[in-house]
Amino acid sequence: MHEEPRIGVYICHCGLNIAATVDVKEVAEYAKTLPNVVVARDYVFMCSEPGQNLIKDDIKNLGLNRVVVAACSPSMHEPTFRSAVESAGLNKYLFEMANIREHCSWVHGDRKLATEKAKDLVRMAVAKAALLEPLEEKEFPVYNSVLVLGGGVSGMRAALELARYGFDVYLVERSPTLGGKAALIGHVDLQTRGSDIVNKMIELIRRNSRIHVFTNSELIELKGFAGNYECKIRVYPRYVNERCNSCGECEEVCPIDVANEYDFGLSRRKAIFLPFKSAYPPYYVVDHRICTKCGECTRVCRFNAIDLTEEPKELNLNVGALIIATGYDAYRPLKGEYGHGFHNNIVTLFQLERLLDPEGPTRGELIIGGKVPRSIAFIQCVGSRNTTPNARSYCSRMCCTTAITDAIKIREKYPYVDVYIVYKDIMTYGSDESLYLEAGRRLVRFVKFEEEPPSVVISPEGIFIDLYEYTIQERIRIPVDAVVLSTGMIPRRDLEDVVRVTRVSIGGDGFLREAHLKLAPVESPTKGIFLAGAVTGPKNIMESIRMGSAAAAKAMDLLSKGKVVAEPMIASVNEDICSGCAICVGVCPYDAISIKLVDSDRIAHVEEALCMGCGSCVAACPSGAMQQFGFKDKQVRAQVLAAFG
Amino acid sequence: MSGDFEPKIVVFACNWCTYAAVDLAGTSRMQYPHNVRVIRVMCSGRVDPQFVLEAFSKGADGVIVAGCHPPADCHYSEGNFKAFRRFTLFRRLLDSLGIERERFRLEWISASEAGKWVQVVNEMVNDLKKLGPLREKLEVR
Repeated sequence: MHEEPRIGVYICHCGLNIAATVDVKEVAEYAKTLPNVVVARDYVFMCSEPGQNLIKDDIKNLGLNRVVVAACSPSMHEPTFRSAVESAGLNKYLFEMANIREHCSWVHGDRKLATEKAKDLVRMAVAKAALLEPLEEKEFPVYNSVLVLGGGVSGMRAALELARYGFDVYLVERSPTLGGKAALIGHVDLQTRGSDIVNKMIELIRRNSRIHVFTNSELIELKGFAGNYECKIRVYPRYVNERCNSCGECEEVCPIDVANEYDFGLSRRKAIFLPFKSAYPPYYVVDHRICTKCGECTRVCRFNAIDLTEEPKELNLNVGALIIATGYDAYRPLKGEYGHGFHNNIVTLFQLERLLDPEGPTRGELIIGGKVPRSIAFIQCVGSRNTTPNARSYCSRMCCTTAITDAIKIREKYPYVDVYIVYKDIMTYGSDESLYLEAGRRLVRFVKFEEEPPSVVISPEGIFIDLYEYTIQERIRIPVDAVVLSTGMIPRRDLEDVVRVTRVSIGGDGFLREAHLKLAPVESPTKGIFLAGAVTGPKNIMESIRMGSAAAAKAMDLLSKGKVVAEPMIASVNEDICSGCAICVGVCPYDAISIKLVDSDRIAHVEEALCMGCGSCVAACPSGAMQQFGFKDKQVRAQVLAAFG
Repeated sequence: MSGDFEPKIVVFACNWCTYAAVDLAGTSRMQYPHNVRVIRVMCSGRVDPQFVLEAFSKGADGVIVAGCHPPADCHYSEGNFKAFRRFTLFRRLLDSLGIERERFRLEWISASEAGKWVQVVNEMVNDLKKLGPLREKLEVR
C-alpha cells in the first residue's frame, strides 16, 4: 500500500497567458527540488494533445504515481487532466492542480513576485499530492422513471419531455384535474391564453402511454437516494368513474354548496362538480373533503358512474428522480386591504382573469357588480414589493404584464370604459415592453404612486382612489366603478407537506430553494430532486414551461447513463477512533450519518449514497475520526504548511 | 516597523462561491496584491479552526475563511452557517492568544463578486501592513 510518492509536475505556459508574467522555466526548475518530485517540465499548452501525452508518457516511462499540473483553474481543465491521468492507468484522483493563471498570472503584474507566488502554489499542490489516495467511484443502477409532482404547465411539460425520451413518468397532482393555475389565468401573449397551452398539453399527455396520471393524489413518503427512490403516493377516490359523460344531473341534486376555487370564489360549486370544461380526467369528481355521502348523486346518475364506497389507495413507486413543480398560491388580500371584501366591485386580478375568460362565470363579459363598469382601476403590487404591511418583499413578476394585457383587452372590447393602472413601477421586462407601449396607444391611463400606497375610499357616492401622484406631485382622487387588485404570487400553503416528505429546503421568500441560483437553477440541494416552475418563486407561464423542460433535461442527464456515480469525495469514519459522540449526526445537512452499534460500541456510520461531500462533519469531529476523501485533515494541513516553504 | 513588510495571507475558499469569485477576478484581469495563497475546500463548513491556528503558527500574518452568502447561497444548504458559528467562537480564542482580530476575516463572497474579493484582499493587506508581522510578535513572547 505504502508506495513512495513519485510526482510529476507540469507547468503550463498557456501560450503567453501564464508565461508572460510567470517565469515558467524557473518554476519548473524549482519544482524539481521539491520532495518526491521525479520530473518537472514546462510546456506551451498542457491541455493540448501533446501536452497530455507528456503526462501519459511520463507515467508509463518514469513510473509516476502522482501528477501535479500548474495551469488554469481546476474548474477549467481538472476533468481534462483527470481523464488523461486515468487513461495512462493511474487512478484519476491521484491528480492535483495548482491554479497559476486565474489566481496568479492574470492578477499580478510584477514578474518576480508572480513567479514567487507560482512557486508557492506549486509547492502547496505538491505537498497535497504526496498525500493523495486513490478514490473509488461507486456506481448504482437507476430506475428509468421519474415522479413529477404537480400537474400544472411546468410539471406537464417536464412529463412530456421525459416521456418523449423513453422515461416512464408518474404525474402526481393533488387537485382533481391537470392544468394548474395556467388553465384559469394568464395570457402568454395577446392572442394565446394559458388555457390554450394547457389544453394542448393535456391532449398530448392523454395520448402518451408512458405518462401515468394520478390526480387527487399526493406523495406521502420518499426514501432512497438519487437514481433509487422508493416513494409512496396516496390516491384519494374521485367516486366518479369514466362512465360519466358530464351530463351534470348529479350536480343539480347535490346539497353541498361551496365557493368555487376554480373561479377564485366568483361562483359557487357543489361537492360533486367538474372543475372546468377542459378538465382532465374529463369527468366529474366528488370533493372527498366536504361530501357527506348522502347518496343523492348516485340516485340520479343514469350511467352508474358514481360509487361512493371507494376508498383511498396507496401505491408504491420506484423512480430515479423527482421533479417538484407544485406551483404557487394567489395572494389573498386581507379583509379591508384596499377595500377588499368591503365592496363587490373590488376584485383581484385572478378573479378578473376568470371574468375575461369565455368559459368563466360571465362567459367573458366584464360584468362586475351586475353591470359593465364605466371606469376601472388596477392597483399594482398588491401583496408584493412591501407596498402594504402584509405584502412580501419580492416582485411577483407576472402581475404588470397580466394587468396591462387585461387593460388592453378591456379597451379593445369596451372602448368607452376608462382604464387606470395605478402603479409603483411597471415591470414589463423583455418583449412584454411592447404591451406597455400598446396600452399607452390605447389610452390606458398610468398613474404612479411612490412610497405611500393609494387608498381605496368606499362612500355612498361611489368608490374613489386617493393617492399622491408622483409624476405631477399632487394629491388626486379618481372616481371608479370597479377596482382590480393586482395580486401576486405566494408560496403554496401546503408546500410544507412537500418539504416534510422530500426534505428539500425553503429559501428566504418561503419558496423552494435552488441548489444554486445561477449554477444549478433547476436542481434542489438534494441530488436527484429537481425543481420547476413557480415553486421556486414567481414565474410567468413561459418561464414555468421552460423550467419544466430544463428540469426534465437535468433528470434525464442523471438517469440516461443507466447508473449514477456516487460523489467520491465523501466523508468516512475511522471506526477505531470514533467514540460515537454523534456531533456529526446533527451537523450533517443530508441526514447521511447515523449511529450504529458495532460490537456493542456506538459508531458513526455514513450512508455513502446520501453524503454530498461538504465536509462539515469532518470539521466538527472532535477526535479526527471523521475524514473527507480528497480533503483529509492531513492533506489540507500539508497545503497550509507548504504555503510557508 | 519596516515599510517593505509583505504579509502572507492564507485563504480557505469554498469551491462553489469564493473560489469561483477568485477565478472571476482572474478572467476579468483585476489586479490585486500578491500576498494571498488560496486553498480550495468544498465548503466553508469544512474549515477546521485548527487549520487557521496552524496557519498562524507557521507564519501566516492573516487568514481569510470565505464562503457563500447566508442564508441561502451555500451549495450544501447550511455549511456557511456552520462556519459562521465556529468562527464567531474562534474569534474569542484569538483574543486569548493575543492575536489581533484584524488578522482573521470570515467573508461571504459569491461567485459573481470578484470586486468584493479584490476589496477584501486590499483591505486586509493594508490592515496587516499596519499591524506588522505576527511572527515577530509571537517571538517576543
